[in-house]
Parts: sequence; structure tokens; C-alpha cells
Amino acid sequence: MREGKARYLFLMPSVCWILVFTIFPLVYAARLSFFSFQLGRGMSFIGGWNYVDVFNYSRFWNSIITTFFIAAVSVSVETGLGLLLALHFGREMPGNKIFRSLLSMPLFATPVAVGFLGLTIFYERYGPANLFMSLFGLQVPWLSNTFWAKMSVIILDTWIWTPFCFLVFLAGVHSIPEEMYEVAYLDTQSRLKIFRFITLPLLSPLIGIIVILRLIEALKIFGLPYSLTTGGPGTATEVYPILVYRMALKHFDFGYASALGFVFLAIVMTIVITFFKRLRRIYE
Amino acid sequence: MRRLTFLQQIKWYVITSLIMVIFCFPIYWASVNSVKPPLEIFAGSWFPFLQFKPTIHNWMVELGTEEVRKALFNSTLISTVSTIIVLSIGSLAAYGLFRFKFVGVKRQDIVVWFLSLRVMPPVVFIVPFFIMMKTFGLLDTPCALILINVTFTLPFAVIILWETFREIPVAVVEAAYIDGASEWQIFHKIAVPLSSSAMIAVGIICLAFVWNEFLFALTLTYKEAIVMPVLIGGTEHTRGIEFWFVATRTLLAMTVPIVIALSVQRYLVRGLTLGAVKG
Repeated sequence: MREGKARYLFLMPSVCWILVFTIFPLVYAARLSFFSFQLGRGMSFIGGWNYVDVFNYSRFWNSIITTFFIAAVSVSVETGLGLLLALHFGREMPGNKIFRSLLSMPLFATPVAVGFLGLTIFYERYGPANLFMSLFGLQVPWLSNTFWAKMSVIILDTWIWTPFCFLVFLAGVHSIPEEMYEVAYLDTQSRLKIFRFITLPLLSPLIGIIVILRLIEALKIFGLPYSLTTGGPGTATEVYPILVYRMALKHFDFGYASALGFVFLAIVMTIVITFFKRLRRIYE
Repeated sequence: MRRLTFLQQIKWYVITSLIMVIFCFPIYWASVNSVKPPLEIFAGSWFPFLQFKPTIHNWMVELGTEEVRKALFNSTLISTVSTIIVLSIGSLAAYGLFRFKFVGVKRQDIVVWFLSLRVMPPVVFIVPFFIMMKTFGLLDTPCALILINVTFTLPFAVIILWETFREIPVAVVEAAYIDGASEWQIFHKIAVPLSSSAMIAVGIICLAFVWNEFLFALTLTYKEAIVMPVLIGGTEHTRGIEFWFVATRTLLAMTVPIVIALSVQRYLVRGLTLGAVKG
């Protein structure tokens, strides 16, 4: 491979672009987080007080718990469902291709739009969710109860993201050589055993990747709860991004919002760096 | 896997249809509501033609609205322009990564640095971006959203294209090199044409990412440059829950990305796992 200047030229535009639009804003926000800066009131240096305020703010703790609760539940449900679906559709059956395509439809469904649509699905008096529940004589307060509001968010999130887990697992299922199964069938007839000792171990690296990638995305959740519940009832579904957004663009408390942002960045980065070695190995 | 018996096959199709019904329901529900006359909404009717006469009235009203057309136009403009920029500078960077050894910096370090941008919670950026765009007078312009969206889709494009370039046989590239082709010629005469289908897929996925982006669009636009997601996020509380209105709007916003998901099956897995799973 040749040395020279050309190699930098190819990377230059992207590197410069990203430097300008991420490093500069990050440094600016980091500085801002040590100031009291509200739009129209000027700026004054207040040291670490924003951070002290963050940890003393009950809504901060509430949204941390909400965000991680929603992320943990939806990621595990999606991973599980994705795996089951992949096992189901992993068989060669006529019509399979169409089903797979249909299943990948929600992948890019605009989350805000899904939340908005969810309003009509979980509508408490005439919505289809409750019409279905009434078959069992139940009426669920989907959007007005603090617990069920979280569930509604999780259900819709599952609808959007299960296809992702499904497609990744399906790729994994297809990559398992047929001979493995043939040999295994000589030993046992139990499908559970075959799953436990062949399929699952061979898919386990995928589980790691899916959980990391899904967790990262799940912690960014914003549009879906924003349009479904606007963080309500009360602050029951006020996930972290909604909290920061409100601080920044409803209260125009820029210094404090920056501090909130950085605390979250620290939390997310800690989680990611724990997986970092694994993530890095993939790209060698 | 073992062949299924006839009974098992029937079981398979029954389970499949159940899954399909549940999965397709939200989209079916939206489509049905969008062609219902408002009076039918609460009547519990589920099937057009059988239970009620479908109407395109809701669609005409919606598409005739000035702000909807503006949002559709902005969404299209912003996602197309961002995608073009991402593909052009992203493929250059991917080629740079693919072709060269760097002194001092390891290749994976650059890749991980690009990746870290997709990992960072975007909320950290809303305050600085808001102030930045305000300072430059770009608030509420498509330009602001293009700049931001390119930033956050670029890492994705670079990583996937880099992975694709790596699949080009070394011999091809070496042969061109020995024949005296410059790096630029190898890039645009060999690397890009050989990975054109991946380029198209990456472009299409980027288009969907940008189309769906909501946080920054909500932060940086309020009137002139609003996009479809912002239109939806903002109007809900002024109009209340009118089912037919919700349905047409969500479908307008979701059709483009859903069609996209259906059209790029082949690269979806690789794209969405950021190249970690080959698919």
C-alpha cells in the first residue's frame, strides 16, 4: 500500500464534517453546563451547581428509572420474540419470502407516527386494543394509568423493533449448516434439546450484538412516547430525552439542560465501554 | 431442519397467519380508518365495502392542506439532499479507510470513532445545535436539518461502504494499480461501480433515517421548514383524536420508509447491525 497525501484527502471531508458538527458542539455544551444560562437572562458561571441540581432533581431520577425500565423490558421482549420468529420462519416453506417481507415492514416506520397511530389503537373507549380486551371482560386504562402507559410505549416499540431482531436472527439461523441438525437427529428426537445444544449456542454471539445495538437505540427513544403520551400521565413515560428536550426548549434553561445531557452521555458511555472490547473486535 | 409432516405444516400456517394478523394490524387499522367516513369511526366497522362505503374524502382534505404539502416537500428535499451528501463524502471516506494504512492511527480506531457517534445520545447536542443554528441564522431552514442529518448518518454510511469495499478482490485493485491507475481512478472506475448495489441500499436506508429523524427536526424548526414527523408531533393536541385524521397523517409519514424497508431486504441486516452481521 502506498504512502502519501492522497489517503488523507479521501477521509478529509467526512472527518472535517464530523469534527465541526460533533466535537465543537460537545465542547461548547460542556462549557455551558457550568454556567447558568437562560435565554434572555444572560450567562453567569456557577461552577458545578448544575450537576448538583441534576442529582437532587426528582424528575431526573424518575426519568432515569423510566428510560431504563422501558429499554430493559422492550429489548428483552424484542430479542425473545425475534428469536422465536426466526426459528419459526427459518424453515423453508412456500410463501415464506412474502411473510418475511411483510414482517420487516415496521422496521423504518416513523416512531412519531407509530405513537400517533397508537393513540387511536389504545384509545380507551372505542380503541381496538380495548375492544379486544373486552372479549375477556377486561378494560385496560392504556394511556391514563402510569403502569399501562409504559406498557403501551413498550408494545409499540416492540412492534417497530422486533423485525430488526428477527432479521438478524434469521440470518444466523440460515448460516447454521444443515449437517449439524442431521447429525443431531441421530442422537435425539427432542426439538428442545436440539435448540438448547445446537441452535442457541450458535446464535449466542448474535444475541450479544442485538442486545448492544438495541439497547443503544432504546436509550434514544423520543418520538414514540412524545406523540403517544407526551411523557404522561404525569411523568410516567417521561423518558430522558423528553426531559432534556423540555428543559432546553420549553424552559430555555440551556445550562441545566446541557448538564442533564452530559450526565446521560456519561451513563450511556459507561454501558457501551463495558461492551467496548466486544464491539471493537467485530471490526478487525 | 427436519421436514414437517402434513399436520405440522398446517400448524405452521395457522401460527404464521396469527403472527401476520397481529403484525399487520396497525397498518391495516390506519388504512381502514383513512377511508372511513367520520360517522363510521365509532361504529365498530372493520371492513371496507362490506360494512361501509370507503371514501377518499379524508385524503383529499389532508393533501389539500397547505402545511401538509409543505411538510411533504421539506421531508423529501431534506432527505434527498442529505443522502446525496452522505453518499458522496461517505464513499470517499470508506475508500480511504479501505485502501490505506495510516501512520500513528489504527484503522479500527477511526472506525470505532465513527461508530461512537451513533452510540452517543443525541440529546446532548440539542442545546449546542440550537444555539449554533440561531447564531448563524439557520433556525427553521432546511439547511440546518441537512447539516445535522448528514452528521449523524455519515458514520453509518462510511462503515457499511467500507465493509463492502473490503469484499472487492485485492487482485482487481492491485492490477489497476500496477497498470498505473491513480487512487482516484481506482475509486470511481472500480470500487464504486463494483459496489453500486450496496451504494444504492445504503442511500435508501439513509433516506429512511433522515425521513424519520424527529428530535433535531423538532428542536430546529417550527414553521417554515417543518417535516412530516414534526407536523405529526405538533398537531395532535390542537386537533384532538380524530381517527381518520390520525390515520391519513400517519400513513403519509410512514409510507415512504415502509416501502423503503420492503425494497432493500438484502442489505437490511448488514446495514442495521452497522456491519456486525453479514446477513
